[in-house]
Amino acid sequence: MTKTIVKLRLNQQQLELIDNSVKAGESGSREELVRRALREYARANLAQAGQEK
Amino acid sequence: MTSPERKLIREFTIEPGTGKALEVRRGQVLRIAQTSGRQCADFNCFNLHDYKEFFHTGRTRHLHGLHPTKGDFLWSAPPRERPMMAIIEDTVGTNDVLYPRCSAFLFEHQYGLPVHTNCHDIQAEAQREYGLTPDDVHDSFNFFMHTGVGADGHPFIAKNTAGPGDYVELLALIDVLAVPNVCGADVMMTSDFELKPLKLSIYEATAADWAGVAEPPRLVNQRNPLQFKVKNIKADRELYRDPAYRPDFTNVPIRNSEVEVELDAEEAGWLAQLAATGKYGDTDADVLRYVFFTWWIGQFMRGPKHVPKG
Repeated sequence: MTKTIVKLRLNQQQLELIDNSVKAGESGSREELVRRALREYARANLAQAGQEK
Repeated sequence: MTSPERKLIREFTIEPGTGKALEVRRGQVLRIAQTSGRQCADFNCFNLHDYKEFFHTGRTRHLHGLHPTKGDFLWSAPPRERPMMAIIEDTVGTNDVLYPRCSAFLFEHQYGLPVHTNCHDIQAEAQREYGLTPDDVHDSFNFFMHTGVGADGHPFIAKNTAGPGDYVELLALIDVLAVPNVCGADVMMTSDFELKPLKLSIYEATAADWAGVAEPPRLVNQRNPLQFKVKNIKADRELYRDPAYRPDFTNVPIRNSEVEVELDAEEAGWLAQLAATGKYGDTDADVLRYVFFTWWIGQFMRGPKHVPKG
């Protein structure tokens, strides 16, 4: 399966926010949290993605 | 309606062209009431025990929008950022924290009237009773000022809709010096082109008054002078450099790093679609960062979100 790597440029404060969310149990890792955000944002904002589960 | 259990402490009327500095202690309610109606009331307040803490339109606007009303707070300026007063009643709902106070300059510049009633000078004259200068007047909370923002992005002043007897009530959460004034703008729409008196009443709050006030946040970043590096209030006007100054900014240096995110084909497809809209950024990384933080704000940030729809 094709994989795409995106390199997010983030500073230490932004990482702190992400790490706090991970520690709070919102996701298992920084990467998982970002992917969750993309999935949920796409479902809410893209008609095609919204039809998918 | 006023609760029959409430004890009236003081009541009087302020006439057009005037204002009054009033000590309102924690647990007291200041009512600002219309007499004949359609009159804007400009308002400032200060911490009675430290005038450097004062009401801030900017933070209030940020947290409650352009038209704060019942249930909202009057916040002090950063770095204090405490609720100073709570709006516990508002019978009209047309308040404004967008427009600055009118001033002598404004009437001279826009109307050719160099000597004219204006809220800045009225505030200054009223608070002079407590030793404050014209430089200590801050942007006002404009009660009963009916305003909006047009589709062109410009603010406007609409017809004042307050009727006789309409009022707002402010519960003091700390001891304050409250300074209401009859807005001096009689050649603007603000008060329907006529200046009218306002009635002021101070009551002891009842349990019912407190019951409607939400518990405000108490955070480490609501700072006080004990935490300031400079402890004393500067008492001279000239600015000069402190040779002992060494910068001590928070979280500096800001260090960027890269976080690799591996997307499957479906996720990459969504990212490509979002990028194709041109609304979120120039690169896939920019778009993904925009998406992440916008999503995070929507999910987890407290208070108003301040992000565009869609």
